[in-house]
Amino acid sequence: MVDSVVLQQPSAIKTVPEKPGTDWRRYFGNGVMYAVLLFFAFLALFPFIWMISNSLMTIGETQVRRMFPSVPQWGNYAEAWDQAEFSKYFLNSCTIVGITLAGLLVISILAAYAFGRIQFRGRDTIFTLLLVTLMIPQSVTLIPNFLMVAGKVVPLPAIGTGEALLTWSWENTWIDTYAALTIPFMGSAFSIFLLRQFFAQIPYELFDAARIDGAGHFRFLVQIVLPISRAPIMTVTLLTFIASWNSFLWPLIVTNSDRLRPITVGLYNFTDEAGTRTNLLMAGALITILPILILYFLTQKTFTEGIATTGLKG
Amino acid sequence: MTDNITGWLFVSPAVLLIFIFGLFPIGYAFYMSLHTWRIRQGAFLCDAEAGDLILYVRSCLKHYETVVLGDWGGAALFVVGLVSLLVAYLVWTRLFGSRSETPFALLRIGAGLVIMAVAFALISEGYNTMISALPKRDQGFLNGLQITLYYAFGAIPLQLILGLLLAYVLFHRVKAKSVFRTIFFLPYVTPTVAAAVVFGTVFSGRATSPMNQLMSSFGWDVQRWLAEPKPFLNVVFGWDLQGFLAGPSMALVCVIIQGVWTYTGYNAVIFMAGLGNIPADLYEAARVDGASEWHLFRYITLPLLSPVTFYLSILGFIGTFTAFNTLFVMRSPATQGTLDTSALVIFDTFREQNRWAEATAQAIILMLLVLAMTQIQRSLFEKRVFYG
Repeated sequence: MVDSVVLQQPSAIKTVPEKPGTDWRRYFGNGVMYAVLLFFAFLALFPFIWMISNSLMTIGETQVRRMFPSVPQWGNYAEAWDQAEFSKYFLNSCTIVGITLAGLLVISILAAYAFGRIQFRGRDTIFTLLLVTLMIPQSVTLIPNFLMVAGKVVPLPAIGTGEALLTWSWENTWIDTYAALTIPFMGSAFSIFLLRQFFAQIPYELFDAARIDGAGHFRFLVQIVLPISRAPIMTVTLLTFIASWNSFLWPLIVTNSDRLRPITVGLYNFTDEAGTRTNLLMAGALITILPILILYFLTQKTFTEGIATTGLKG
Repeated sequence: MTDNITGWLFVSPAVLLIFIFGLFPIGYAFYMSLHTWRIRQGAFLCDAEAGDLILYVRSCLKHYETVVLGDWGGAALFVVGLVSLLVAYLVWTRLFGSRSETPFALLRIGAGLVIMAVAFALISEGYNTMISALPKRDQGFLNGLQITLYYAFGAIPLQLILGLLLAYVLFHRVKAKSVFRTIFFLPYVTPTVAAAVVFGTVFSGRATSPMNQLMSSFGWDVQRWLAEPKPFLNVVFGWDLQGFLAGPSMALVCVIIQGVWTYTGYNAVIFMAGLGNIPADLYEAARVDGASEWHLFRYITLPLLSPVTFYLSILGFIGTFTAFNTLFVMRSPATQGTLDTSALVIFDTFREQNRWAEATAQAIILMLLVLAMTQIQRSLFEKRVFYG
């Protein structure tokens, strides 16, 4: 179908003028090009199509050669949801993502603004140090971080134990608290870097004008910079959302029970329980992926462009 | 003055967090690796009684010797081998400066090849010495490195080539560009655990798995895919190669396919942004001079995209060397450890064996490798990268 559209409307060229060629050649080239694109689009989508279609099948249908279910079994979702206790995991994931995101945005916007627009002593040294952390494998920091969160290395303020909020002692542990699952991820060198690149480009005349009106850095940041920085903040939000929703290894280590574990861990546990019940497993996978998919489709333009422009400056 | 205070006030929460959870742990990991540490901190390894400095240092680095390197001599050979590879590269590009006459070029290639052969011999000899000096249960890390290399060299080039192809086609003249871009980028945003579960089912070894159904509909044999620990060259072609040449296991090839699926679209999006930065008049000028499409691609697009390619390849290396979730979900006892990259071995040493200090020693080595590789990539390709 797409090919026929192509045949009626030879390619409109905006950026690159093309050498004049015979028409059949161009049609043929376009046909091949769309065939390649459609083929790769199919490959990219195949796991999703297959997952959705299998999640709607009966167990019997998943085992025979079928591409689509004869009657969609919508009940599979409810069954997977109940069996894998997804309501608990789902809520945990939402809480973890929410807390992380809120903390990360405040902290990294402030830092990015300072790195991008305020001249202060030691700025460049500190900034370079932050960038170094981008290349450190998680394996290295994992065990020390676990020890720290367990309260074995530095004294931690008690959190979520019902005592006064800031008592420091060697006995306090963050194991099995939301603090352990969220606070370590609030300082993100990547987010700071990404926002800084944008903030640094804002013309200095704007700040001078604000200063004449009596505004300090904080007011300038809140009233002028933030409103014009929707795109990069959105990108950071999405990236953090995905990374946080994706978290798996760390929650597995710093929690003792399933009480606070996120949906990825829930899905992983479910792979054992569901065993060969592919339909339920795929329903579970879809439940796990769905929030990200919805978010992505709603914001994909901001998102891909944000990735593209920030990726290049790395 | 006030700027100093405001600045520090603004950055302090972030700096504190990144310092505590990002930089301090590196030092602490090193500190841990110099102790016995079985859940609780134990003795400091450095032996004050040691006769001389070398023995003293060796006693401090005991864990590095007993679980990672095996044999210092072997490790030295290995490193010398790596350095010789660099030398071979330098000979290739630098010997006789810019003289391009045939005899010089031949000499250059010949000398490069000889040094490279020696380098590979040293690397393989060193690696064998190291690994055979280790007890069986501690060979995992070095084996894991080999598996990581297969993973990296299997996935990254494919990811880059396919990403570039898609970006090139999409960028130039396509309707519904953004629809395709959205679709290609989708795998990148999919949570890895969920994607791994789906791929695990698609590539399951059962006769009814989608891959096997596809195979049998073409009349091919049913494969065990993710449950197949045998080298894929052996399974597909029946070759029975030994050592590094044996290649990745069939199971790892499935994981590589998943990696390519995940990152190709991401690479394409970044490549597209790079293509957008190439000035159109360059192409026009070349066209006026009668350059063909291929020449345009070869002599304008590729060189001008090299910073992007470079950036993506470094990102890919860091990614594959530290990948965890996918491999953790996809491995099973059936894979017989052929999916256990170094990152997974570290996790096992820490979590399954409770040998925390040994795990940190492995992690430190992995970190040094990642840093060294990015540095080498940087110094090798810096010259070839063309920055506008």
